[in-house]
Amino acid sequence: MSTLLEKHIVELLRERNEKAISLLYEHYGATLLGVANKVTRDENLAQDVLQESFVKIWKKSHTYDASKAKLFTWLFRITRNTAIDKLRSVKTKSGKEIQIDVSDVYNLGVNSTKPELIDVHENLGRIESKYQIVLDALFFQGMTQQEASDELDIPLGTIKSRLKIGLRELKKIYSMAILLTLPLNLIHLVIS
Amino acid sequence: MKEKVHEILESDLLESYLMGATNDVETLQAEQFISMYPEVREAYDELQENLETFANLHSVQPPEGLKDKIMARIRKETKGTGKFLKYSAAASLALLLSAAASYFLWNQNQDLHKANAIVNKKVDTLQEDLREQLEDVRNQFIVLQNPETKKYEVKGNKKAKELKAVAYVNPVKRLSYINVSKLPHLPEDQSYRMWAEVNGKMVNLGIIEEADQKLLALPYSDDNELGYITVEPKGGNQSPTPENIVANIAY
Repeated sequence: MSTLLEKHIVELLRERNEKAISLLYEHYGATLLGVANKVTRDENLAQDVLQESFVKIWKKSHTYDASKAKLFTWLFRITRNTAIDKLRSVKTKSGKEIQIDVSDVYNLGVNSTKPELIDVHENLGRIESKYQIVLDALFFQGMTQQEASDELDIPLGTIKSRLKIGLRELKKIYSMAILLTLPLNLIHLVIS
Repeated sequence: MKEKVHEILESDLLESYLMGATNDVETLQAEQFISMYPEVREAYDELQENLETFANLHSVQPPEGLKDKIMARIRKETKGTGKFLKYSAAASLALLLSAAASYFLWNQNQDLHKANAIVNKKVDTLQEDLREQLEDVRNQFIVLQNPETKKYEVKGNKKAKELKAVAYVNPVKRLSYINVSKLPHLPEDQSYRMWAEVNGKMVNLGIIEEADQKLLALPYSDDNELGYITVEPKGGNQSPTPENIVANIAY
């Protein structure tokens, strides 16, 4: 995601230009739907969440402060909180307790993943599940480190260190994946 | 300072802030730490990068048509809500103001109604008074101008030699008036009273003040005796005391 595009989108948002939403959807739609999916574990619900999130993004666009957060961080916060609220309201309506089972967090269908990220997704398997569980609990399940420690029955210190190692591993895989998805001649260029 | 930074990084404040899971106080705290300590800023930026990376790994291709649905909602929002919110805010304010104004005006109206009722009553009373006075003046005029009206001097007896009055009597119109022009001084506990015969009974017509100089109506009587003036104690008597008669009004 180029900073230039980010700036352009933010400018369009400020001008109340609908094109901003179109661009946001093109560049972040799939990722934000993934976030909604992770939190709700329900494809239909996740799509509702994405719609509501974009309406909120449009309505709250004047509150975005580039000095406080990257555009994606802001979009992520809105989507995640919308998803959590949606889940709560569904829970209240059905009266059923929706289980947050951290063990099946990566049952994500490969087919529904962004094609250019399939390699990365396969590579995710390389990260030991103990790190993945922690990353998932913190980023998607809305848990604090303390809550994750209680929920997963792992000491707080271990949670912290697994988060750090997990993120480091993730970075490695991701940067490698970017290289893999680049055309070969471009890689040659980069190497030479 | 190192310790403080360490403490911040060890806590999960940054992660919670990143997720948008902090309350207002925690948000302010996090933003303050990020702007104060470069190490914290660095950690936060790294977290932001990692979050985007991690989220990208879990992206899901949206189904066809979802974008159209979203764009349609945004368009509806822009058309409706933007203007609607502005107008509804203005309308709410207008409604509030008009409600306040209505209450104020209603109150004022109630007060005006009350004031109006009082004024109407006063006007009615004044009209009645005026009508009576006009009638009185008209009668006086008729009596005084009428050639049939006779003027009689009324004089005090031995007890009130200085008493002077003039009676006007018109037997045709059957009207009579008296104008008391002079009354001798009386002790404080006494007063002059005028009496007249009505249906064979002597009726108290009230106290006559010194130098009243008013033309007072007297009930007309056919038998030449209209009435008399007595001196009575201040409190007044129900019936006249004949020994105290100071003047006879007769023609």
